[in-house]
Parts: sequence; structure tokens; C-alpha cells
Amino acid sequence: MIDSLPAASSPTPSPSVETHLVCAHGLAALVTLLISICFGFLAAVEMVAPAAAGSSPWFTWGRMRYDHTQGIMLGWLGNAFFAFLYHAVPLLSGRRVTSPKLGQWIFGVWNFAVVLPGWILVLAGYSQPLEWAEFPLAIDVFVVLSLILAIVQFLGPFFRTHLEDLYVSSWYIIGGLVFTLLAYPMGNFVPELVPGARGAAFSGLWIHDAVGLFVTPLALAIVYFVIPAATGKPIFSHFLSMLGFWLLFFLYPLNGTHHYVFSVIPMSAQIGAIIASTLLGVDVVIVVANLFLSLRGTGWFPRDPALRFVGTGTMFYLIVSIQGSVQAQMSVNQSVHFTDWVVGHSHMAMLGFASFAALGGIVHAWQRIPWARYNHDLVDLGYWMLLFGVIAMVGDLTIAGLVEAGQWKSAAPWIESVRAAKPYWIVRMLTFVPIGGGFLFVMAGLFAGNPGDGLKEVAAQ
Amino acid sequence: MKSLLRMSYLVAGLGGVGFFVMSILLLGVWPGRALENQIARTQPAHPPALTASEERGRAIYGREGCAYCHTQQIRYLENDVRRFGKATLAWETIFDYPQLWGTRRIGPDLSREAGVRSSDWQFSHLYRPQDLVVDSVMPAFRYLFDRAPNQPRQEARDLLDYLETLGRDRALAAPEGETHARDNCNCSEDEERFAFGAGPLNASPAMARRSGEVPKFPQSDPARGLVVYKQNCASCHGAKGEGDGKGGAGLLPKPTDFAEREYSTDRLAFALWNGVSGTAMPAWRDVYLKDLASVAEVVRRFHSAQPEPAIPKEVLDLGARVYSERCAQCHGKDGAGDGPAAGQFPIAATNFRTQRPDLAASLRAVRNGIEGTPMAPWTSELSEAELSAAAYYVRTFYATGH
Repeated sequence: MIDSLPAASSPTPSPSVETHLVCAHGLAALVTLLISICFGFLAAVEMVAPAAAGSSPWFTWGRMRYDHTQGIMLGWLGNAFFAFLYHAVPLLSGRRVTSPKLGQWIFGVWNFAVVLPGWILVLAGYSQPLEWAEFPLAIDVFVVLSLILAIVQFLGPFFRTHLEDLYVSSWYIIGGLVFTLLAYPMGNFVPELVPGARGAAFSGLWIHDAVGLFVTPLALAIVYFVIPAATGKPIFSHFLSMLGFWLLFFLYPLNGTHHYVFSVIPMSAQIGAIIASTLLGVDVVIVVANLFLSLRGTGWFPRDPALRFVGTGTMFYLIVSIQGSVQAQMSVNQSVHFTDWVVGHSHMAMLGFASFAALGGIVHAWQRIPWARYNHDLVDLGYWMLLFGVIAMVGDLTIAGLVEAGQWKSAAPWIESVRAAKPYWIVRMLTFVPIGGGFLFVMAGLFAGNPGDGLKEVAAQ
Repeated sequence: MKSLLRMSYLVAGLGGVGFFVMSILLLGVWPGRALENQIARTQPAHPPALTASEERGRAIYGREGCAYCHTQQIRYLENDVRRFGKATLAWETIFDYPQLWGTRRIGPDLSREAGVRSSDWQFSHLYRPQDLVVDSVMPAFRYLFDRAPNQPRQEARDLLDYLETLGRDRALAAPEGETHARDNCNCSEDEERFAFGAGPLNASPAMARRSGEVPKFPQSDPARGLVVYKQNCASCHGAKGEGDGKGGAGLLPKPTDFAEREYSTDRLAFALWNGVSGTAMPAWRDVYLKDLASVAEVVRRFHSAQPEPAIPKEVLDLGARVYSERCAQCHGKDGAGDGPAAGQFPIAATNFRTQRPDLAASLRAVRNGIEGTPMAPWTSELSEAELSAAAYYVRTFYATGH
């Protein structure tokens, strides 16, 4: 098995990379990202000023909330992963993706049969009140269809060629796509058929699988790919890579019930999930140690914005996973569950870890498109604003969660916990400025500058 | 070598799928079966399913993201049980396709919302929550109404119908249902304590009740009272206590005008602690006693003593006669609101021994009735002299120092 496969590839993508599809999905990713964070911002504003929604049903808080998370997961991260896959899969497998024509279909279905109509239907009042599954059932059909097409598109090259050269990123890509296809219907359809507490057991699984089997594997595929490709050094240990991979796929799905600790779901299932959550932290330590040992001595931080995004994302991955292990413990969970602490946790995972990794992947691929524009300084500026934004937001929400937990434990009336949280909600709303600005600057860095500057920068390293 | 490798991928692939299937079996299917068994053992014989209207309301609750701020799951924890009531049993959510447990609690848990508040309160609150709960961050659902909180459209009615199902089945099944569930649940000691412990099934501090003990109020602090009044009471009763707050616009009966009413401390304590059953006035048992005592003092001070005209004896005699013929059935022969007919009404008859309306208010009530209550106008039954005599007379029951 070749640890240094991406590292061995030349800085320019081989001709088999469908650069237009990289570009199309990259663009779609960034556009849907901006729209998705606007939904999030509106939801944050409405928590500070509930009257801001006006009297129209289209902009009420609940609908903003649904569109925010679905947009982030499917629109932003989905497109970003596809963009990265179009860059990475040919390099990893040495084969073209199955079909560029199919690529156009995937692009069309994903954006114009899933994300766009999903958003509109939610705004119009057609949705499903299940976390990470808010788009209505009709949309889910197209998600499943797209996932099947994506498997044909991206796994084809691996199976048509020498599987023995499978690099760890390839493992994550195969695992991520296959298990998302398996888990998605479970999370979206089963609770419609299995009611109440029994359905909640499945919802709990999906809440974690969405992050653990879709977002994490594909984000890690990017991290494992970009590090050796950008530093020119192989991954520290292939054994640790594989150990991390298998532990992840063993442990992640077993975490689900930790969203319903102290519920009526049998205690033995809750405890099993808590143990798996604890062990997951250990697994992440292994993965992250391996990644940082690979980054050691490469000057990764000043070297390259893509690498820096990926490295920082890895740092957040470690922190958010340890935090996850801690907050799954009964003693912690009973206080912080249901509070803003958890909202902070999700933002560290989706923004700090996954979005940083995805940005790293997009920037990395972008630098290697000969005709693409690129401006190092703008991407740099975006990085710093985002770093500040995510730390401010997660820090703010974490403290808010502790304040709420304290209020709930006291004898104070419920509304006191709302009053106490308001200043933190204002700060959270304001973190939109560095976060939104950061994304805009990164985006500007990919559309301003001279065509081919990215390639020049790569060549200079 | 290559075939060996391919084999190992096959094994690994199957192993991976195996992990996934295992997670579903361990955390989805098996707990599901355990829950199914528990449901079969513990549920009441015929839990009423949702009506069409309640079903539609549930869909609205889902589409507006209510479950993303309000949980419907009282956890097996001291603090949850103390605030909301007995922990949620599996059978309580058997009609929820899909489940609405929620994972974030910005507003209070709604598992036991049925019967807690009056319809006019709920409608006014849905129309614009901040009109009633000043510091609420809940969205306004004005589009479920025809431009006024007392003109709900079908959708608002459906939503309220649904809210009134939350916790209803378990309340209806009690107490036999509780015994049945407890005896059959095979719960651990801890679980039993939280699901069937000594506390009330519904611990909502806002649920009004017609009778109940009132703890002794401590010393009041009027400055603090004003703060608490502004935060909690002014929205309906108005900044000056004149019953003209924005939130009261859609309520019937209207919020009380404190400026034209004198209250005994006990009466205020009772209304604050137990609410006024049958009206939108909730109970405030979650507010610190010291704060309640202070608010009571603020409310008393809204009323300024008027010079009392001397009422001629013959007028009072006429008033006494009219009262015993027309009013005593509900308000009681001694004005204590305990007449023989009082019990049949959802709203208690005014107890004139613990509150005294000013003359103007008293006359207005006798002439116009009090909208939203069983108190009817008496102008068609009584002469002008009789009306005013009765209005004078009811004010004589009030005993200061109660």
C-alpha cells in the first residue's frame, strides 16, 4: 500500500482530473455556504430580536434553523466533498472518474433537485421535524439517488483498478459514501414508520451517523490527502491510519444513543453508547497524533493556506472529539444536554473541523487548476477571520450553555435562563461578522488574482 | 498476492458493513424491541389516538420547528422531574410519527402542556409571545390568525388542539394507569422514582387550580416588586395596573384593573400562587416567594383609597334584598363566593370578603356583566335603583385585615 501516493503526484493535476467539475462543485459549495450561513445568521438575529422575522411564515425561526443545517450539510459540505473527490479520486486511483456526463447529472440533481428545492420547500412549510433530516421525504429520494450515482462515479475508478494501492483517503472515501448511503434512509425514513421513543432510538443513530459516517470520513479523506500532497512527505504511519479508520467505522455508529441519555431508551443502550463515545475520543487521539506526526517539521502553518486550513481543522477535530467524549458522560450530560453548549459543540465540529478541512480541500484543488484564479493574501485573511470567528462563537456558546445549566438547576423561573442567555446570543449573532467575512475573503481569494497563481505558489514551495 | 489482498478487502468490507448493522441492531432494533415490550406492559388499555385536528396541529408543530426549542421528553433526572413532572414513559409517544423529543431546550419542556393554560392565553401567546412573556424569544405565529389573537384560523386551533394532547393520555389514565404502569414496567429503582415518584404528574408551576394551599408570604420589597411586576405582570395588567397591557387585548375575561379594586393580602397570595382558574391568569409557583410577596404589595398600591360616601340605610336594605334574591346563588349569602350554584361554573364567583371593587367598577359589573365570565348584565331584570343598591351592598362584605 502506498502511503505517499498523493505526495508522489505532480503539483499539477494529471489531465484526467475533471477540473470543470471541481470548479463547478467548488463554486456551488461556496455559494450554498454563503446562503446557509445567512439562514443561520437570521436564526441568530431572531433569537435576539424575535420581531425581525416579520409576520410572514417564510422567515420564521424554525424554517431558518432547518435550512441552515441542511444547507450546511448537503449544500456546502456535500458540494465541497464532491469538488474534492473530482480532484482526488483520479489521483488516488490513477483512473478517471466513471463519467464526466454523469458528473453533470450529479451536479444537477444535488443542487437543483436536492438543495434548492429542499430549501424552498422548508420555507414553504414542507419539512420533516427530524434533526439533520429536515428536508421533506420527496427530497430524500433524490439524495439517495445522488449518493448511488456518486458511488458509481467515484468508487468505479477504485474497483476498476488495483485496489492494493488503496491509500487511506481512498478508504475513507469508499467508507464515507457507502455508509452514508446506508445510514441516510435509516435516519430519514425509519422515524416516519416507527413512532415515538422507538423512532427516537433511530433518530439518535442518524444524528451521529450524519456527522460520523458522512461528514467526518470525507473531511478526513481531505486531511489525509492534502497533508502528504502539500508537504511532499508521506503520512507518519500507515498502521495508525488504518487503526484509526477501522476504529472510526466501528465506534461512530455506536454513539447515537448518547443524544438521549436519561431517556426511556433502555439504560444498557445508553451506557453502550456512552462507552463507545468515550472510546471514540481515544480513536481520534490516534488519528490526530498520526496526522500531526506527519505535519511535524514541515512548516505547515506558514507554508500554505490549504495546509493550514487542514491542520487547524485537525486541531478542532481533536478538541471537539475529546469534548464529545466528555459531554457524553452522565455526570456532564445531565447538565449541558439541551443547552447552548451542544450548539457550540456542533459548530466546532461542522465549522471548526469539517468546514476548515473542506476549505483546505477546495483551496488545495483550486491551486492546482492551471486556469483558476488565486490570491494567497485574501485566502490568508479569510483564514484568520474564520479562526477568530469560530473560537469566539464556540467559546461564547459554551459559556452560555454553562450559564443555562446553572439556571435550570437553580430554583429560578424558566424565563430567567432565557434572560441570562441573551447577552451570549447577541455575541453569537455578532460572530457572523468574522465568520461570514472570513468565508467571503476565502471565496474572493479563489476568484480574484491572476489565473494560474495557485500553481505558481505550489511550484515555489 | 493480489487475490489475497482482494480477499482481505472483501473481508474488511463485510466487516465494515457488519459494524454498521451491529450498531443498528444494538442501538436501534434491540432497544426498540425492549421499548415495544415495555409499552405493551405499561400502556393504558385504550389510549386515545389523535383526532384529525390534533394530527394537523402536530404537523404544524413539526414544520415550524417547535421541537427545536421545546423538548417533549422529561428525562429521568431530579431537575427535569422537579420542573416539568414525572419522567416520560415510552407509551406516551406511541402516536408520534415521527418523534418530537427534541435535543435543545430554549423554552420549557412541553410534555405536560395539556390543561396548563387557558385557550385565550395560548392563542395570544402564539399570536405574539412577547405581548405576554416580555422576555420570550419565541417567534410570533401571526399568520395563523386573522389579524388578532382572538381570531385564530383553523391552523391555530389545530395547533392548540395538539398542544392540549401533550401529556393528556397519561393524565386521563391516572391513577389506575399509573399503578398499572408502575407494577408492570420492571423499572430500576431510580427509574421508578423519576417516573412514578411522589411529585405531581404535571409539575408545571403555571397550572391554575381552584383550591390549594398557599405558603406564607415573607416580608415584601416594593422596589423588587416593581421589577418583577414589569417582567411578568405588566404585559397584561398594564404598567399602572389598569388592566390595559398589550397582552390582554385577546383575553377574556380581561385582565383585572388593579386601580379600581382593593384586595386582601390573602386573596392576592392565593391568585399568585394558584392562578385564577378558568381565566388566562396562570399560577406563578416558580417565582420566588419573596418576589411574589413584593408583587402583591405593588398590586395593592395601584389602588388608591377613595372617600366613601355614606350610604342611606334603606338603600343598603334594598341592596341586601336584591343580593339575597339574585346574587347569593353564586356569590354566597355572606359574599364569600361560595353560593350553591358557584361550583358549576369554570370560573369562581367573586369573593367580596377578600376584594372590594370601587363603586364605579361595581356598578359597571352589575349593569354590563363581566365578559368572559358567567356574570351577566342585570339591566333587564333589575330597576336602576335595585342595580345601584346591589352594587353598593356587595361592597359591604369586604373585611379589612383579612
